[in-house]
Amino acid sequence: MLAIALVLAGAVWAKLAYWQVAKRGQLAAAAQQQYREYVPLPAIRGAIFDRNLTQLVVNTAVYSAFVSPDQISAGERDRVAGGLSSVLGVDKASVLATLSSRAKFAYIARRFSKAKADQLRVLKLPGVGLLDETQRSYLPGATAGTTLAADLLGFANWDGNGQAGVEMKYQKSLAGTPGYISSYRDLANNEIVLGSHTHTDPVNGQDLVLSLDANVQYAAEQALADGIKKDNAESGSVLIMDPSTGGIVAWADYPSYNANDFNHTDPALFKDNVVSYLYEPGSVMKVVTLSGAINQGVIAPNTVINDPGVLSVGGYRIYDWDHANHGNIDYTYVLAHSLNVGAMKAMLAEGHDAFYKNLQAFGLTQPSGIDVAGESFVAPPSASQMADSQYATTSFGQGIDVNMVQMLAAVNVVANGGKYAPPHVVDRVGTQINPVLLQPQRQVVSPQTAAQMTAMMEQVVQKGSGSLARVPGFAKDETGKTGSSQIPVNGQYTSDVWTSYVGFLPAQHPRFTMLVVVRKPHYPGSDRDWTLNDGYLTAAPIWKTIAQNIVVSWHITPDPG
Amino acid sequence: MFGHAYLGVGAVVVCLLFYLAIAAQITQASYDISRLQDQQRQLLAEQDQLRYQEVTQHAPAQVQQQAAQSGMQRVVPSSYVQGQQVAVDLTAPVGASAADATPLWQRAVAAVLNQVAGTRDVMASTKK
Repeated sequence: MLAIALVLAGAVWAKLAYWQVAKRGQLAAAAQQQYREYVPLPAIRGAIFDRNLTQLVVNTAVYSAFVSPDQISAGERDRVAGGLSSVLGVDKASVLATLSSRAKFAYIARRFSKAKADQLRVLKLPGVGLLDETQRSYLPGATAGTTLAADLLGFANWDGNGQAGVEMKYQKSLAGTPGYISSYRDLANNEIVLGSHTHTDPVNGQDLVLSLDANVQYAAEQALADGIKKDNAESGSVLIMDPSTGGIVAWADYPSYNANDFNHTDPALFKDNVVSYLYEPGSVMKVVTLSGAINQGVIAPNTVINDPGVLSVGGYRIYDWDHANHGNIDYTYVLAHSLNVGAMKAMLAEGHDAFYKNLQAFGLTQPSGIDVAGESFVAPPSASQMADSQYATTSFGQGIDVNMVQMLAAVNVVANGGKYAPPHVVDRVGTQINPVLLQPQRQVVSPQTAAQMTAMMEQVVQKGSGSLARVPGFAKDETGKTGSSQIPVNGQYTSDVWTSYVGFLPAQHPRFTMLVVVRKPHYPGSDRDWTLNDGYLTAAPIWKTIAQNIVVSWHITPDPG
Repeated sequence: MFGHAYLGVGAVVVCLLFYLAIAAQITQASYDISRLQDQQRQLLAEQDQLRYQEVTQHAPAQVQQQAAQSGMQRVVPSSYVQGQQVAVDLTAPVGASAADATPLWQRAVAAVLNQVAGTRDVMASTKK
């Protein structure tokens, strides 16, 4: 009898020891889960400001409504469904069906405004709860259904992750680090202060101050939309830069999208054509070609060449745009009238190696490195792999792919006294100045070369293809260059074109450099004369409209004399 | 003996009651903290909402819309007259001052008058 008692007692002790010792950790963890709660403390995402500290993005609270059908009696279902339906605009019948189900939890509506949440609170509906979440809200843009600088800023998704543009590039700085509270909770989920706490504060995200000017951005979006509609074009973009710093002042795409409604937006619109779209720059490239040749000392603005309208290079006959014999002309005339033969002769005078090094120096053989997500870049063939004909076409901007940021930064070298200003969008992260702004700028061509090219580009506006970009009062104090290039499809050039216009103003003390690109314009009458789809008719007027706006907005006056 | 026991039990009961009172107070405070935190969250949400409204009011799109509703129009872009170089050389050194062209007799009369009546300037400066 004693033995049986001992065995039974031993069995009980053994089982107790099993639960107390062997399973201690597992049981302790299960108990912790029941009465201890881990509450994440989200970090507030940093705001984004423009150069004048106009806030471009604001964090706002949105709410989601849920129901717990098992906590709603049958008699109250109709009142609850009616209340939800009237405030949130949801279908009453489907809400009733949800309430009649055996579900423990179901969402009724997601991410609605605080005003609606306040209305729901007043109704005090049983079994209905509200969850608050944070949402990024962006300012309205220039055209209906868009937000300001949508393609540049990008957007943050509902999880708070930047999905494009600046929001994506600066995700780490903007997001911050979430904290948490670990504490005891009672049955009603109230915090019990007597228990032990672990509390780590969140580190909020840093604010960004951009070089962007919201007013100029708005003007650019408006002028671009009007211009693209007038040109019957597929799309277009505008990029404006501060010549001395490389800071981006405006970055506009048309068509664009509504970042506040990104979940209902065609994903194709998320592609940022300024930085993700590669194009052949056409005659805008002549600024780079001739600057390099002048800097090498192999040509001067008044060097006279003979231009019969065609040149044979590498077995190909390459023509000027007008196929005309221009006779003896100088390089200022070449640039003003955008003559391909002149550009090729400058490149040949310089030599292939020097020309290629010039492309490198102007930043056209590597990505621009701008601080916006999604930069596209295709490296050109190495110097030794480029055929003679490709050197020839590259000299006037065909056969080489660039994005707009690369091209604008290259032309800006002329505006910036021969120095390369690294393009960037963010001036400050929190209180830290963007390191790019503190680095010395690379000298690409001499100040004398830049001055000579500036004078040549002034002639483009005064006597050449840039006449439609003349800003009243600045006709003798602005620079420009048109560009048009056919779009290749499957290795064959089509009749569709990219057109562009680049320039800076005032010529001697530039306040901005601007590039306008229009894709596949079909200018009125171009079905009879395709040359009407040229940069001087399509892109230059857009440039002029925006430039006028900046002149007024920034109180720019022409240089005297 | 029993007296000491009662005292001990009494002290324990008092301590227990004190502990319970404190615990109840703290629990009540924790409920208040939760309620206030919820209130703070709502106020912050309201603040964000108001900030967005304020920012939107100053957004270029809103400004333009309100301007158009008020019947305002964009100004015609300014025209400029080309400036002329200034003819005066502002950096030229200052030359000798011009000689006094007052006739000699006027200077003599003035000296006599000043001696007799004094100048207004002197009178003004010496007047108390």
